[in-house]
Amino acid sequence: MDDYLVSVLSNIGVISFVALSAYLLLLTGEISFGQQAFFAIGAYAAGIATALWGWPLGAALVWGALAGGTAAVLVGLPTLRLHGLYFAVATLAFAETVRLLFEQFRYQVTVDGEQVGPNGTDGFRGIRYIFENDVGSLQFLGLIYALLLAALAAFVLLERSRLGVAFRMIGEDATLAALNGIAVARTKLLAAGLAGALAGVGGGLYAHLTTYVEPRIFDVMLGVHSLAYGLIGGLGTAFGPLLGVLIDIGLLESVRAFAGYRMIIFGGLVALLLILRPRGLLDERVVHRIRRAWFRLLVRPPATERLNRDLP
Amino acid sequence: MIDFVQNTIDGVMIGSSYALLALGFTLIFGVMRRLNLSYGPSIMIGAYLGTLVYVQLSAGPAVVIAATVIGAVLAGVYVERLCFAPMAAGAGIASMVSSFAIWMQLEQAAILVLPRHTYPFPPLATGAPLTLGPFLLRVDHLVTLGCAFALSAGVQLLLYRSRFGLALRAIINDPVAAHLVGINVRTAVMLAFALASAVGGIAGYLVLATDQQVTPMFGMWATFKGLIAMMIGGLGSIPGAIVGGLVLGIVEAQSQWYFGPQVRDLLAYVLLFACLVLRPGGLLGEPPARESALGRGSA
Amino acid sequence: MLDVANLVTAYGKIEALKGVTLQAERGRITCLLGPNGAGKTTLMMSIAGILQPQRGSIRLDGTDLTGLTPARIVAQGVALVPENRLVFPQMSVRENLLAGAYQRNDKVEIAADIERMYERFPRLRERREQLAGTLSGGEQQMLAVARALMSRPSVLLMDEPSLGLAPMVVAEIFRIVGELNRDGTTIFLVEQNAHMALQVAHHFYLMEQGRVTFSGTPGQLAEDEVIQRAYLGARRTN
Repeated sequence: MDDYLVSVLSNIGVISFVALSAYLLLLTGEISFGQQAFFAIGAYAAGIATALWGWPLGAALVWGALAGGTAAVLVGLPTLRLHGLYFAVATLAFAETVRLLFEQFRYQVTVDGEQVGPNGTDGFRGIRYIFENDVGSLQFLGLIYALLLAALAAFVLLERSRLGVAFRMIGEDATLAALNGIAVARTKLLAAGLAGALAGVGGGLYAHLTTYVEPRIFDVMLGVHSLAYGLIGGLGTAFGPLLGVLIDIGLLESVRAFAGYRMIIFGGLVALLLILRPRGLLDERVVHRIRRAWFRLLVRPPATERLNRDLP
Repeated sequence: MIDFVQNTIDGVMIGSSYALLALGFTLIFGVMRRLNLSYGPSIMIGAYLGTLVYVQLSAGPAVVIAATVIGAVLAGVYVERLCFAPMAAGAGIASMVSSFAIWMQLEQAAILVLPRHTYPFPPLATGAPLTLGPFLLRVDHLVTLGCAFALSAGVQLLLYRSRFGLALRAIINDPVAAHLVGINVRTAVMLAFALASAVGGIAGYLVLATDQQVTPMFGMWATFKGLIAMMIGGLGSIPGAIVGGLVLGIVEAQSQWYFGPQVRDLLAYVLLFACLVLRPGGLLGEPPARESALGRGSA
Repeated sequence: MLDVANLVTAYGKIEALKGVTLQAERGRITCLLGPNGAGKTTLMMSIAGILQPQRGSIRLDGTDLTGLTPARIVAQGVALVPENRLVFPQMSVRENLLAGAYQRNDKVEIAADIERMYERFPRLRERREQLAGTLSGGEQQMLAVARALMSRPSVLLMDEPSLGLAPMVVAEIFRIVGELNRDGTTIFLVEQNAHMALQVAHHFYLMEQGRVTFSGTPGQLAEDEVIQRAYLGARRTN
C-alpha cells in the first residue's frame, strides 16, 4: 500500500472513534458538540504516558480511555439533566474550555537532552513511540482497525443487549423509559462515560499516529463533523457513523479532483440527503430490512413468517 | 477604577454587536425551535457581497450596507428553504446538521469568489473618538449600541403590535393551531428567517466596519458569539438577547484587560457553561420545558 | 354541503382512514361517533388541511378543498375547533381572538365580532387580558370555539369539544352548539359523549377502524342495538 493510502485509512479509522462516540450519545437522544474534548484529553493523556513517562503503548491507550471516560462522567454529572439544545451548547462550552485550557497547559521534561511535552499553543511535539519502537505505519494501521473492529463488535453486542435497548428507549422517550423501570440518569451517565472512553482511545491513537498534537485541532469543527457523520451515514447502526466518515474523508477529502469545490458539493449533497433521509443513509428502517434479508438468507423462514412477510 | 469603567464601556460597546447577533438568532430559534448553525455564515455571505461591491466598484457606505443586508437575507432564505422548510416535524437534528453542511458550502463559496484570506471592509466612521471626562467613546461603537437598542425595540414592536407579529407569536405558541386559524405558516417562517438575517446583516456590517476587515472565519465567529449571547440571556427572549450580549461583552472586555486574550475566550466559555448548568433558562428566559429543544419530541 | 368521498389518509404505510365517505348537510348538526383510534381526529385534521389525504376528495358545495393549505381552507369558510383546544397559551384571550380573524382585513368588523364573542361568552370578556394558558379547561374550550368563529366560518368542525370537561361545562358547550346552528352555522361534530350529541344532532355517523359503519338519524341510532350497548348503554341505566 502506498503511504498516502495508509495515512488516509489511518485517519478514517481514528476519526471513526469520535464519530462513534457522538453516535453513542445520539442513541440516548443527546446531541453533543463536545466529543472532541475527550478525544483531546485521550490524546494528551496517552501522549504524555509514552513520551514523558515511558509507558508502553497499550497501557497509554488504556490510560487515555480512562481519562476520557472519567472526564465525560464528571462533565456529565451537571450537564446530563439538561436536554436538547441546552445540553448541546453545554458540551460545546465544555469542549472549548478544555481546548483553551490545553492552550495554557505546559508540562515539559527533558528526554535525551530534548524538551518534550505539551507546550501551550505550540502544541505537544515528539510523541515518537511508534518510531522509537519500530512500529511500521502498516502495523499501526492494523492496530487502529483491530481496536475499531473491537469497538464495533462491542456495539453489535450492545445493540442486542438490555443496555442497548435501554439506550434506545431513553433516546425515543426518556419519560416512557423511566416508567418502564430504567434508571435514566445512571444509564445516560454510563453512555456518556463509554462515549468519553471511546473518544479517549481514538485520541490516544491519533496522538501516536501524527506524533504531534496541538489544541487547535480539537476545535468545534471536529465536534460538529463527528456529530454529522452519524447523521449522514445513518442512526440505525454503528456502521452508520463509519459510513459517514468514509464518505467525507475517504471520498471527498482524498479525491483531489474535488479540491476547491469539495464543500460546495458535499454541503449540498448532505442537505439534500437529509431532506430525503432525515436519519441518514443507514437509518433504522434500512437496517431492519437488511437484518431481515440477512436472516432469511441464513435461516429458511418458517411458513408463518412467509405468510406475514408482506403485512405492515 | 478608571480602567474598570473604561473596560465596562468597551464591553458594552462590543457587547451591543453580540446583542444584535443574538437578536437575529433568538428570532429564528423562537419561531423554529431549531438551531440554525448557518446563521453566521449567511451573514458572512452578505459581508462578502458588501466587500465585493466595495473592492470592485468602490461603492459608498450606503451601497455596502444594502449589499450586506441583501446578501445576508438571500443566503438566510436559501438556508431556510434547503435546511428547514423541507424537514418534517421531529427532524430537528437533521435541520441542524443540514445547516452545518450548508455552512461549509457557504464558506467555500465565499473563498472561491474572494480567495485572499482577508479583505478590507470600509469603515463606518473615521476620526478621533469622543471623550467623556477620562473616558473614550468610539463613534462606530456608539452607532452599534444605538442600533442594538433601536432594532430590538423595533422587533419587539413588530412582534406585539403588527399582524405579522401576531402570526409569528401564534406559530411560536402552537404551530398546528396557527395553521388552523388560517396563518400561512410556511411563508411566515420564511419571512421571519429573512427578518432575522437582515438584523444579522446589520450586525455583521457594524462589526466589520469597526474591524475594517473581513475573513471567511467571520461566519463561525458570528454563529458562536450569537449563540453564546443568546444562551446566556435566555433562549427566545428579546430582552435576553440584549442582556446576554452586553454581559458577554463586559466579561470579555474585563478579562482581556486583566488577563489577556486567551483567558478572555476561556472565561466566555466558562461563563456560558456555568450559566447553562446553574440557570439553563438564561438570565431572562424561562426555564426550559421538559420536552427537548431539538430532539425528536419537538417540532 | 360538506362532502367527503372515499378519503384515505395514511401515516407512513398505516392507513388511518380507509376510504371514508360522509356528508354534513348545510344548516344541520352532523355528529360522528366512534371509539378511540377509529380515525375521527385524522378525518378532522384531513378536512382542515393539516394532514394530506392520499386519495379521495373533500368538497364544500362543489368546491374542491382536497390538498388545499389550511389557510386556504379557512378562507373557504371551514374552521376547526381542534381536539384538546390548542389555544395559544402565551397570548391573551383578546389576541387569541384576533389570531382567529387572521384571514380577515376588516378591522372595524373584527372589533365588532370580538365584542359579539364577549357577549356570547361573558367569561372571556372578564378574562380578555389574561394569558390563555391560565384559563380553566372549560374557558379554554369557549375560547377555542370563539377563536374558530372569528373567521366567520360557514362550516364549523368540532373535535370532541366535551373532552375532559365537567358535566356543567359540557352542557353549556352543547347549548352553544345548538345556538350557533340556529344562527345558520353548519356543524360537523366529533363526540364520544353520545348522550349529549343525541340531544342536538340531526344526523349520525359511526366510524370504526377507519371506516364508516353506520349512518342514520337520531331515531335510527337509538334503535340500533349494537350502538346502544356500546355508546348509550351505560347511561341508559341511570
